[in-house]
Amino acid sequence: MTDQENNETIGQNAGLGMSGGGKVVPMQNDPTAATRKDTWEEDGFTVVRGNARTAPGCHDNCGILMYIDKDGKLDHVEGDPDDPYNQGRLCLRCLTLPDVVYHKDRQLHPLKRDRADRGKDKWEQITWEEAYEICERELRAVQEKYGPQAIQVFCGTGRDIVGYHPMLANILDTPNQGMGFLSGQGCYVPRMFSTTMKIGNLYTGDYSQNWIDRYDNPNWVRPDYVVIWGNNPVVANSDGTLGHWIVECMKRGTKLITIDPKLTWCAAHSEYWLQVRPGTDSALALAMAHVIVEEDLYDHEFVDCWCYGFEEYQEHIKDWTPTRVAEICDIDEDLIWSAARALGNADGWALQWGVALDHTAEGFYSGASCYDLCALCGQFDKPGGMVCGKPSFGVPVTWIGSDTDWIPTKRNQYEHLHGDYPALRVIGMPSPDATLEALEGKYDYPVKAAWLQTNNCLANMGAQPQRIAKGLMEDDFNVVMDLWMTPTAMAVADVFLPVTTFPERFGLTGHQPYRTGAINKAIDTIGECRSDPQVVVEMGRIFKGADLFPWSDGEHFDEEAFYDYLLRNSGFTWDDLKSRTWAYPEMKYYRYKTGEIRDDGEPGFSTPTGRYEFYSVNLEAMGMRPLAFYEEPPESPISRPDLLEKYPLTLTTGARQWGFFHSEGRQVPHLRAIHPEPEVTIHPADAEKYGIADGDWVIIENQYGSCKQKAKIDIRIKQGVVSADHGWWFPERDREDGFFGTFESNINNCIPMRPGSTGLGCSYKSVLCSIRKA
Amino acid sequence: MKKAILIDYKYCTGCHTCEVACQKHLGLEPDKWGIKLTQIGPDEVAPRQWQYEFVPVPTDRCNRCADRLERGKQAMCAQHCQAGCLWVGDIDELVGRIDGDKFALFV
Ligand code: SF4
Ligand code: SF4
Ligand code: SF4
Repeated sequence: MTDQENNETIGQNAGLGMSGGGKVVPMQNDPTAATRKDTWEEDGFTVVRGNARTAPGCHDNCGILMYIDKDGKLDHVEGDPDDPYNQGRLCLRCLTLPDVVYHKDRQLHPLKRDRADRGKDKWEQITWEEAYEICERELRAVQEKYGPQAIQVFCGTGRDIVGYHPMLANILDTPNQGMGFLSGQGCYVPRMFSTTMKIGNLYTGDYSQNWIDRYDNPNWVRPDYVVIWGNNPVVANSDGTLGHWIVECMKRGTKLITIDPKLTWCAAHSEYWLQVRPGTDSALALAMAHVIVEEDLYDHEFVDCWCYGFEEYQEHIKDWTPTRVAEICDIDEDLIWSAARALGNADGWALQWGVALDHTAEGFYSGASCYDLCALCGQFDKPGGMVCGKPSFGVPVTWIGSDTDWIPTKRNQYEHLHGDYPALRVIGMPSPDATLEALEGKYDYPVKAAWLQTNNCLANMGAQPQRIAKGLMEDDFNVVMDLWMTPTAMAVADVFLPVTTFPERFGLTGHQPYRTGAINKAIDTIGECRSDPQVVVEMGRIFKGADLFPWSDGEHFDEEAFYDYLLRNSGFTWDDLKSRTWAYPEMKYYRYKTGEIRDDGEPGFSTPTGRYEFYSVNLEAMGMRPLAFYEEPPESPISRPDLLEKYPLTLTTGARQWGFFHSEGRQVPHLRAIHPEPEVTIHPADAEKYGIADGDWVIIENQYGSCKQKAKIDIRIKQGVVSADHGWWFPERDREDGFFGTFESNINNCIPMRPGSTGLGCSYKSVLCSIRKA
Repeated sequence: MKKAILIDYKYCTGCHTCEVACQKHLGLEPDKWGIKLTQIGPDEVAPRQWQYEFVPVPTDRCNRCADRLERGKQAMCAQHCQAGCLWVGDIDELVGRIDGDKFALFV
């Protein structure tokens, strides 16, 4: 079947109205759409079909069946066997969903606390009305006194907020919105920005996820190789990639190449495992490119016709010889040759990159150097290679983007908190590192209020969290919206807003570009919880007036009208989407050849030269390096030999654990039982050297601070490197006991709040430390 | 005849999903299992060749999801297995699925 035959237009699909105007993206043929129901009766239960998003958080939207008993209670859940995304499977996190929904610790009502009582358990339950009154009064006071830019709108990851927070920033007229206190905006932003400069869009591995008939689709080809780079996909399920899709590819003949300091399951099942020293990924990519060019294994057609700056690049990679880089990465040289040859000789291969690439100071360039390899091998827009991720059906909130044009705002009148970093200046994002300095009075910019929605920075990603706690505890006003009383809420919030779990709400899927789906409400809202987007819209009514809405929003938040509005260009209505649960847009490869990538309809990529830019004209114009390069992490055995006597080991942090999503999941018994304590993985030779036995509590320490975790002695980690858990707090402990003991085992005590030279990139996986028995 | 469980443990990633799926299905606390993971390795059996594998083993609490199979559904662990490498069914049917070198059959 051809692409054409495989993609039907919307009108031919059952139950779809043509509500949107303008050009409508055709939908893929969906054989079960006509008969698919969103609810039915089964064995005494009412079943509601939906997408698992959010809260709790995840980067995926698995198809889920929610079983509701006679009393309207969520009894249990199962994966939806009809859903192409997860094909009936749910992981352990969603399987414990009812335990989260009905957990005794959930906060079900808005709360307030006197500013003088921050950190103390002196909460008072209030109505939403009062909560909003306080928010309005305090935020307007900050706006008037210091300017709206003094309000920081901070989200975390994996919850249904990334697409909506830019709306809130518009509503509050502040230019400062981002992932607050994640040093160097160090999750995807460094990779995304540097590679967008090179190719204009974001591309991800092709595991058939864009096709409704998945692995059986005749246009799809399984990748010859998946290069797993600084990622543990089966555990992490990061960035809208369900890691086990790669296992399905393996069954169909895909081989793996894994680059990781730890022997993960994927590493053990790889043809080549390159156990690099943390933070050296970019050097490895440059050396692999060196081999591919030197042995003339690159894709001449793609490089000649569709790339820019190859000569400069060729010159640039000459010095990055495998001999030199083997020493930098601390791996055998022959592995670099073999892995590079494998890629040079492969037909299709996919890059499965992870956040490790961002987690070295100059991590801004690590993703770029990996993309250069993809370009050399002509993998973009190729079956079994890398596929272009544009928001499906042009609904920006479902992927990377927002829908803000309808919100009048003054945010552009204020310079954002870029901290004088060149990359941040350009992308309009605040520097979390400079934000902390501003809070501490070390950088001249007013930071007086924080809106933290799905953001548990003190327990999870905030580096040097005690500095952050102190800074936020001294500002004028803080709001936290979450499922639980988190350490962050306990320490700094003046107002706490309770969020719904996904069975309690409607909405649109997000965090992936393959399709658009509906979050379907299955049970009554518990307590007085509200969804994340609802609160954003209601803040809009308060700050900009009800006239703001291009839809008729009555007295109360009109969910259906809101989601209809967001879907206005998709060709279908919210009601259509709800009843079909998912919709896949047409899928094509090689769109850069047919003029379907660039906005002007010309062939090529969305870059100034229209080509893939080995040499980035834009980066150069912004005063940054135009070619990807490698630089030692600021604290490594090579850059800081003077520290080695005191801190002889390399510290990498944040490896994902089964069952947890960052700081979530610690209060869910079946998940906690799998990984009950914070763990640091130590090689047996290092453990022996420092007198540590398996299961000992150890102190991990460096010049920034220290914390306590339990030793797991395991040959899987590279000798000389220790790998420590992140995200730990102890919900079972007293709220006032160090905010659920969150600083006790918090590995970020040992991580500096300091970005790379561009303002992006950070040091979560590349500092030095010592270990000793506690 | 009692149903069997087949695992293609070449692809089992040790994700714990079968354990939790079963605990939820049978209503077990976290310290009781109807199926439980075992681990082999990591062991460098030859230079650069690692054995690091998992095999879930059903316990005496496992009832082979008789009620689900009766209703035409897959066993809870099998349906949710993240790697799609676990099946519950008649021995004959399962034996027919063995097409590789790392299968474990529990009868
Ligand atoms: S990957 Fe995410 S959405 Fe899918 S089942 Fe697991 S927790 Fe749920
Ligand atoms: S077959 Fe059913 S009872 Fe047996 S392990 Fe699987 S889920 Fe548990
Ligand atoms: S669910 Fe499947 S992949 Fe996961 S541990 Fe069980 S058998 Fe292995």
